Amino acid sequence: MDVKQCYEQIGGDYDDVTSRLRTDERIKKFLLKVADDKSFDLLCEMLDAENIEEAFRAAHTLKGVCLNLSLTRLYKSASAMTEALRGKTEYDDAFTPLLEQVRADHAVTVAGIRAID
Amino acid sequence: MSKTKKSTKRGKILIVDDSELNRSLLSDMLEANFDIAEAENGLEACAYLQEHELEISLVLLDIVMPQMDGFEVLAMMNKKGWIKTMPVIMISAETGSAYIDRAYDLGAVDYISRPFDERTVMHRVSSNFMLALKQKEISDMLSTQVYEHERDNRLMIQILSHIVEFRNGESGLHILHVSTFTEMILKHLVAISDKYALSQSDISTICNASALHDIGKMSVPESILNKPGRLTKEEFETMKQHSAEGEKLLKAIPYHHNVALIKVACEICRWHHERYDGSGYPDGLKGDAIPISAQVVALADVYDALTSQRVYKPALPHEKAVEMILNGECGAFNPIVLQCLKDIHEKLKAELTVSSPARDMESIRENVENVLKKSGSSVSDRTIRLLEHERMKNRFYASLSHEVLFEYVSSPEMVELSEWGADFLGMPQKILNPAESALATEIFGEGDFDRFVTKMYQTTPENPIVEEKYLLNIRGAKRWNKVIVQTLWSSDEERPVFEGALGKVVDVDDETQEMQQLEQLADHDAATGLFNHHAAKRRITKLLADAGNKRYALVFFDLDNLKKANDVYGHLFGNELLKAIADRMKSNTRSSDICARMGGDEFIIFMEYQSGLEQQIKRIFECLTKPLGEFDVSLSMGIALAENYRGTYDELFHMADLAAYAVKNGGKNAYRFYSEIADK
Repeated sequence: MDVKQCYEQIGGDYDDVTSRLRTDERIKKFLLKVADDKSFDLLCEMLDAENIEEAFRAAHTLKGVCLNLSLTRLYKSASAMTEALRGKTEYDDAFTPLLEQVRADHAVTVAGIRAID
Repeated sequence: MSKTKKSTKRGKILIVDDSELNRSLLSDMLEANFDIAEAENGLEACAYLQEHELEISLVLLDIVMPQMDGFEVLAMMNKKGWIKTMPVIMISAETGSAYIDRAYDLGAVDYISRPFDERTVMHRVSSNFMLALKQKEISDMLSTQVYEHERDNRLMIQILSHIVEFRNGESGLHILHVSTFTEMILKHLVAISDKYALSQSDISTICNASALHDIGKMSVPESILNKPGRLTKEEFETMKQHSAEGEKLLKAIPYHHNVALIKVACEICRWHHERYDGSGYPDGLKGDAIPISAQVVALADVYDALTSQRVYKPALPHEKAVEMILNGECGAFNPIVLQCLKDIHEKLKAELTVSSPARDMESIRENVENVLKKSGSSVSDRTIRLLEHERMKNRFYASLSHEVLFEYVSSPEMVELSEWGADFLGMPQKILNPAESALATEIFGEGDFDRFVTKMYQTTPENPIVEEKYLLNIRGAKRWNKVIVQTLWSSDEERPVFEGALGKVVDVDDETQEMQQLEQLADHDAATGLFNHHAAKRRITKLLADAGNKRYALVFFDLDNLKKANDVYGHLFGNELLKAIADRMKSNTRSSDICARMGGDEFIIFMEYQSGLEQQIKRIFECLTKPLGEFDVSLSMGIALAENYRGTYDELFHMADLAAYAVKNGGKNAYRFYSEIADK
């Protein structure tokens, strides 16, 4: 699978990312970093520990990473998560479905990236 | 092959972002044209800037970060003044206008929002980089020009005034002295009062113009100017005209009437012989109708005339001149100006001996610095080179000496160790937040690091050295070390701020051990291990001096039958007996009590008590007098109490001795209080 096919599969905007980052080679290099990025794990851990402030920061980072690589689908769920966490100090039941969505999108994204040749 | 312009040095960019991916994305885009440094949070960024301030051309700064966020970094850059020379571009996915506004308010120059677009990033970074570079070039150019301009100005004025002086037969230093003293008095005046609104540049103009105060003497015939004896009334009238003549001369210069220098020089020429009470000439102006420039120059003129030799008089010593002026013997002056003279007269005296041309150049430099400070310009290239040179020198020396050298920065709090020092202590070279690091919690004893920091804050720029001894735990070994620092203060003369310190740690464990051993030896009795008389006296004297409400008892006793012990059981037993008594004393008293052997068979115990002293003494007495083997121990004991005691140790000892003596005379082997026998 090439980079373009990968973007189609994981719900990203290939045209947008190439217009900004120019080459497939560079995009691929950073996609691989996304796959290794620990922000999602940190988000889960922090929510588990009910450390909302750190969880916000992790979600915020994840969102920024997606934005940079035009990973639209994961960006949307990470963004929703970020906004729900912003300014909060205590755990809210509304976090659960949002996190599930992020988890699902994250899995699809990572799987897609790993499938690039 | 086309070459890019060589003149622009490759810039270095600091990327501050908590996400590694973001940092590498940006560095990937920029590394072809710039050198890159990275920091993963605000605190790290500040630490990096602290050390590499002069190398960084531009900062890319994220907002949401752990430890210290982007706004806090901006605030710190403002506080440290870095923001003036270092452009900061914010990067963030936050596009809310409140965020952007706040960043701009704090001095950020531009804003790049995510997702990054390579062309946008390149363009914004390059253009801001070039802009800052140009600004620096221009400010360097400006500073050179301002400097040259100022220097030429002064030179012209000096040439002119020297012509006048030459003709007057004055020392040649008069003009310089008047200018210097005028400056010192005016600076002090604005420091103690806001009555006269004089800016730094007003003061500089007045000092320049003061050089022209006697220019009118050009119109006075030389025979009068240099007449050794007293002037006749007519001659004096001619002489007096020099003030009005000076003004006339200046006013005759075509154009430039509105230039501040000419205006002020006119004031000074015409009115520097006016007096505050209205008795001067040529106009008889009174009080603050006389411009402050002329008032101060008049004082400086009189002072220098008094302290210099003239054809008609010898030079007076500084103290005499000041006294005469303050007593009103040399005309009437504004009280607040006299106050200035009083306040700074010591400094004036020192000035008299300083070689003047050097000082003049210094004041030019000061002026240039002031002008540049106002325009917010940066340090020049030369300064940077000098700083780099200094740094290189320090590193080299540090690498040669096997010592723990360090720098302490107060805000953000940080300790930086020399390479060898870091290795030796087993710490990283750079320690952020040192109060919570292993340095403070493991190497220093509890609370010692805080205490040392407090000590540094308590120094002053005049007295910046702190030297303290601490027991440090260095890689598992506890050793005594001396920590010596020189504190550093901001250059603000009025209100210096503590900025940090340079220092080193020196191992003094061996010396300290040796010292303690010597003290131990000097203070203890070899046979019993108790304190000797001298050491006990020293300690007791100190306790008595600090006694306050505490109550102490001094117990004195001697053995009734040591001689018998020696005679019957031999000297070895005698020594054993003394040792046994010492052991009994120690095991029946607290460690805070003082037990000592005075010599021979005499001992003392000095102890604090609350109540029930009688029982306590009884118990000690009984323990001490238990038989040793077959030998019956017998002793005569006297006790003196120190309660609200104001006397000396010797007096107290004497009382206890008297009580013991009474026991000895009354049948031995008992104890008595001094109070029981005192009345008899």
